[in-house]
Amino acid sequence: MSPDQHHLTAGIDPGSSAVKVAIVRSRAGQDPEILATTMQRIRRRYVHKVVEAAFDEACLKAGVKAGDFDYIASTGDGDAVARRTGHFYSMTTHARGSLFLDQEARAVLDIGALHARAIRFDHRGKVLGHRMTSQCASGSGQFLENIARYLGVPLEEVGKLSEEARKPEGVSSICAVLAETDVINMVSRGISTSDILKGIHLSIAGRLVRLLRAIRAEGVVLLSGGLAADTGLLAAIREVLNDDRTKKRFHAKVEIRTDPDSILAGALGAALVAAYRYEQLERMGRLEVVA
Amino acid sequence: MLRSLVTTPAEPSEQAADPAATLLSQATALVEDQGLKAVAEWKARHPGGLAIGHMPIYVPRPLIEALGCLPVAIYGGGDQVDIIRGDSYFQSYICHIPRSTIELGLAGSYDILDGMLFPSICDVIRNMSGMWQLLFPDRYAAYVDLPQNFSPEVGGKFYRHELERIASELAKRGALTLDPAALRRSIEAENKRREAIARIDEVRRTEPWRVRASEAYVMVRAGGQLPAAEHTAMLEEFLEKVGERESRPMDNVRVVLVGSFCEQPPIDLIRTLEKAGCDIIDDDFLLGFRFIEGAIPLEEGGDPLEALVRAYLERGVATASRYIGEEEKGAALVEKVRHCSADGVVFAAASFCDPALLDQPMLEAALDKAAIPFTSFKFAENTGQFQVIREQAGAFSDSVKLWGATK
Repeated sequence: MSPDQHHLTAGIDPGSSAVKVAIVRSRAGQDPEILATTMQRIRRRYVHKVVEAAFDEACLKAGVKAGDFDYIASTGDGDAVARRTGHFYSMTTHARGSLFLDQEARAVLDIGALHARAIRFDHRGKVLGHRMTSQCASGSGQFLENIARYLGVPLEEVGKLSEEARKPEGVSSICAVLAETDVINMVSRGISTSDILKGIHLSIAGRLVRLLRAIRAEGVVLLSGGLAADTGLLAAIREVLNDDRTKKRFHAKVEIRTDPDSILAGALGAALVAAYRYEQLERMGRLEVVA
Repeated sequence: MLRSLVTTPAEPSEQAADPAATLLSQATALVEDQGLKAVAEWKARHPGGLAIGHMPIYVPRPLIEALGCLPVAIYGGGDQVDIIRGDSYFQSYICHIPRSTIELGLAGSYDILDGMLFPSICDVIRNMSGMWQLLFPDRYAAYVDLPQNFSPEVGGKFYRHELERIASELAKRGALTLDPAALRRSIEAENKRREAIARIDEVRRTEPWRVRASEAYVMVRAGGQLPAAEHTAMLEEFLEKVGERESRPMDNVRVVLVGSFCEQPPIDLIRTLEKAGCDIIDDDFLLGFRFIEGAIPLEEGGDPLEALVRAYLERGVATASRYIGEEEKGAALVEKVRHCSADGVVFAAASFCDPALLDQPMLEAALDKAAIPFTSFKFAENTGQFQVIREQAGAFSDSVKLWGATK
């Protein structure tokens, strides 16, 4: 790519509860420029339609047209993105997106609506190892959303309330159904909402820290996904990591960080990986696959 | 007993727009038909005709058709059958296909069949032939001893004798007597089918976005219970319809899949690999239809039975159930990868499949030497959870696409 040339790429990340889109302009020798990002909740709508709506919104913000793109990459539920040029797995895109958001990050904890996963990567964003929670939803955003609904707490207040807890109550970290039963018992025992939420945050944090240990994470770890903005969860993870018992088991020092755009890490990563891939195809003389 | 096979239906609007949708639905119905309705219909149209089931991998189907019989490929119960009685006939540390086949046999699903052939794949299938004879003593059951000596004087003579034995045993049960002219016609029909399959494979290689491996799989497998001519017509129509598709290229990784020649993976596993960004441009699924490379050569005025024998001896593919030199199989795989311009190899063998898993280290060594990336996993025909495979295939696909064979 010559210095005056640029590539326009998009990353589209249909998740379980929201569709995220990022549009990136890349120039040789320069940092990529994020032209626009959008997120639309699915809310029982047909996911293909949400993808199109979110993409159109992002294009409008960026001042570009659908036909201007060199490469449109999907991640997450790729089948929902009819206009994709290629698909990249969410491990790859969250790693790349996290590296973009924090150059010092060498691992990411991606906590989505249905799963949580820990991914370790190198300075290029190449995935070196990963672990994921098992089938149970007790370490996921959907579970926390359900509990917040049962407790009558708006999602945006969950973090703040959790941070006000004085005597958090332990809940099951194995099974979402058992955890929900625990919560019902706590409500009937008159446990405060703050203490219940903190107990849930600590339970989720315990699972996430075990994932980090399993991938031998060290240094800066970025939170991504829908729960990255939950300050209560962030505080709980830090608390678990600072616990003496965890320190004894952990092989290295870990610093947890988050970013205001963490929820967009997958979409950003997809757009950035798309730019890299496009240049690679260009070098290999294989642009026919993206024509 | 039966569970739903289809877990990822196409969107209705997508299906309506796809010119090949109707054909794919018909083929899927044939694949899912554990009760072998198509065989019953064939028998109704051919009074007195015998339906002869056969296990994977290779059985000379033209010979059976020449005897006025319908060869019926049996691939076990897939993910549609819960094993209850089948488990009591086999130890736990073997593959799944014999259990589900016995289960279906005992449940009466194969009552329509007049006989079963068990080609030499491995010890498990050999034992199964004996078990079948004990369980169904009133029906024909035979072990087809495919020779592992490929010289015409030794393996050739033996194999010819084996084919004549089967023909004469079936004739005693009501099949037609082996007639060279009929055999020639059935070989010609089989060659046309092979040509149609080869054309589909070529489209997959050159335009993988036009025909997905999962679609080609369904179309080819549907022919397991059809006469060659009927299947060929179906495949040719499919080729015509996919030519009308308005599809476009995708930036996927091109892979060759190896190891699924006998027990077949669930279709959703193939779709999982596709969703993970892999274009499976070559594979050894349903290997029987492609076991002989190219056409079975028929010489003018020559002996068609000898043509069948020579094709087996000289044109067999390099696969785990053929005892050929170690390096030969590795070299053949590397050559296939290069011929297809594939980016890597996916080893997908059935759990406890001795032939596949014993060959795999040799094949991996050849790929390592040629710097061709690969990944491997195991499955069972009734595997229902694909998350781990999806993770692995996705990581492999991205790794190959973005980083090539580099560490």
